Parts: sequence; structure tokens; C-alpha cells
Amino acid sequence: MGGKDIIQRIAESTELHTAPGGEKYPVISLKNTVSIAQSQRTPIKEVEITALKQGITPWRYLRNTGTIGLDGQIKLLQSTIAVVGAGGLGGTIIELLARQGVGHIIIIDNDRFAEQNLNRQLMSTEKNLGSYKATAAAERVKDINSAVTVTTSLKKLTGDNAHRLLKDANVVADGLDNLSSRFAVEKACRDLGIPYVYGTIAGFIGQLMTVFPEDTGLSCIYGRSDSLPEQGIEVKIGNPSATPAMIAALQVQEIIKIITGVGKPVRNHLFILDAMEGIADKIELSRH
Amino acid sequence: MPSICVKFYSLWRQYLGVDNITLQAKSLDDALAQVEDRFGSRLREQLRAEGVQADGRIQDYSLILLNGTSLRNLKQTCLKEGDTLQIFPPATGG
Repeated sequence: MGGKDIIQRIAESTELHTAPGGEKYPVISLKNTVSIAQSQRTPIKEVEITALKQGITPWRYLRNTGTIGLDGQIKLLQSTIAVVGAGGLGGTIIELLARQGVGHIIIIDNDRFAEQNLNRQLMSTEKNLGSYKATAAAERVKDINSAVTVTTSLKKLTGDNAHRLLKDANVVADGLDNLSSRFAVEKACRDLGIPYVYGTIAGFIGQLMTVFPEDTGLSCIYGRSDSLPEQGIEVKIGNPSATPAMIAALQVQEIIKIITGVGKPVRNHLFILDAMEGIADKIELSRH
Repeated sequence: MPSICVKFYSLWRQYLGVDNITLQAKSLDDALAQVEDRFGSRLREQLRAEGVQADGRIQDYSLILLNGTSLRNLKQTCLKEGDTLQIFPPATGG
């Protein structure tokens, strides 16, 4: 990949963008990127990576690179993120990962859209009720960013299949709605040496934490996996429209930080965001 | 007798209108009994007003950590000066 012909075609297609401050950035358009990929029979993301390595930013990532740099964008395009659950949290996570420009997304969900999902699940529409959530999400990714490849699994993740479904991921994002599946994902991630980004919601409240394999993780909050609460308070107070987006956005920021090395992931702390009162708390968790 | 801090988070803080309190308690059971005495009925009343039926004591329907680890993980129940109990509702939605 990134052969001489591709590099030459990219150079010929490069334009200079002048920022409001007068700085000039070499950029390449989506149309030219796709044209090069098609003529060279190369994946679009490989053309984008080759351009970035030459110091040329695809227009679509121009507002990303000020924060994460060209190297950060390359790392994202070379990464694989697994999203377990494509509902409230997962749907928004997938949307933002596609826009951010991660290379590959694994979407795992066996559920189909129902009317009660329409208030908050970004991938659900009146037209796709009854469709598999993972399939709808994959179609949405293709519409947003054709450089991103997607693998879907229409299976329920369990302790038995978690390792096989997650083994190719660099980071796993939690879009789940129950604790037993979360513990199964966390265990598989720990076994596989993969960071896991936990998120959960109830009412106007959300919680977030990044768990690296050596971190104590979910058991600090919920206790051992054999003594979990049966259900959360969201069963009664619901999940309104903006709450999943609020936590999913922070989960995506965690993923970006982990992949690019920019910033500091929220490890060994439980971050609680209370939108009802506009309060953010961080509880330091035990490391033993 | 050790002095410990009890902190309420998210919905429990909203419903009780209290961020944190200080207690004197030598054991977890003693601390949790004081929390229940002071806040149990008020919290359940608030929850009922929101349409939520909570049964039992606060510790039966809350997540409670001692110094950042779940009480469900703890074997020892003695408290020491400066310990912190963190109390909040379980959330599992996605």
C-alpha cells in the first residue's frame, strides 16, 4: 500500500487550504481520495493514511487534526474498535467513531429496533423499525465515511463467544444494557489485554470509566460478578433522549485518547455526570 | 470512635438534598444503620413520589463503596478514621 503511483496521484490532487489565521495546510478532497482508491484498486482508508503520511490532510479530518495531529489520525485509521450493543450508547458511539475516522468497527448486537427505541437510539428511524440494529448501524457508517470498514455480528455476546468476537479489537466500547454482559465483556478484554470503555445511564445521570487489563474495574462498583444487582434504576426512570449521547460522546473521547495517546483516560475512577443538577463527580476506586 | 465521611451521589444527592455528612461509627453495620435512620424514610418517600418502589434499607437498593470498593467485596467491617462511604443508585442502562 502507499506505492509510488498513489503518492504521485495524491500529490497531483493536493490543494492548499488557508486557515483564518493565514496558515496554509495541504489537503485532499473526498472526491479525489475516492478516485485514487478506485483507480489504484486500493481501500480508501489506505489512500487517506498515505496522504497523512505525506503531511496531507483529507479535508474531512481537518477539524480533527488540530487536537490529535496527523499521527493521531493515522493511528485511528489503523485501529479496530468493537462496539458491543448498537442501541442508545452504542449507536452514538458508532456514529462518532465513523465521523472521527477509525479504520474498522466491529458491531455486535442481536436485537432489532422497536418503537420505544426511537427516543434515543440514533440509528433507529421510523423506516427501519424491525431491522437489526447492527445492520442499520453498518449502513449508516457507510453513508458517513466510506473509508471505514465494518464487521457486524448479529449474535448476543456471552462469556462463551466474547473472546472470539472481540479478539481483533484495539479497544472495546460498552453499549450494553445489563451487568452480566458487561462483566463478560470486561473479563474477555482483561484476558485479551484490550482496554474496555464502560458507560451506563439512568434518567439524566450517566457513568463512565476506562478499564485497562491491570485495573480493578467493574467489581469495585458492583461487587463480584456473582452478586450483581438484578436491575438498575433506569427500569423505572427511563433513558431520555440526550442522556446516552452525553455518555457515548465521552466514551468516544476515551477511545480517541487510548488510540492516539493524547490526554489521560479516566482509569481507576468512576466518572458520574449528573445533568439534572449540572454536577460532575469522580470517585477514586481502589486499585486492590 | 472513628469519624467517617458519607457522600451521596447523583439521584440520591438530588432526592436527599445532601452532599455529604460526617458520622462517628466503629463498624460498617453501625454506619449503615445511622445512614438508614437519618435518610432511609426520606429517600424512599422521594422515590415513591417519582413512581419508584424501593424495598428494604438504603443498602438493599443502593451501590455503596468504602474507599472506592464495593461493600460486596469486603470481608472486614471495622472502620478507621477518615474512611469514606460513597452511596449512589445502581444504573445499568444503555
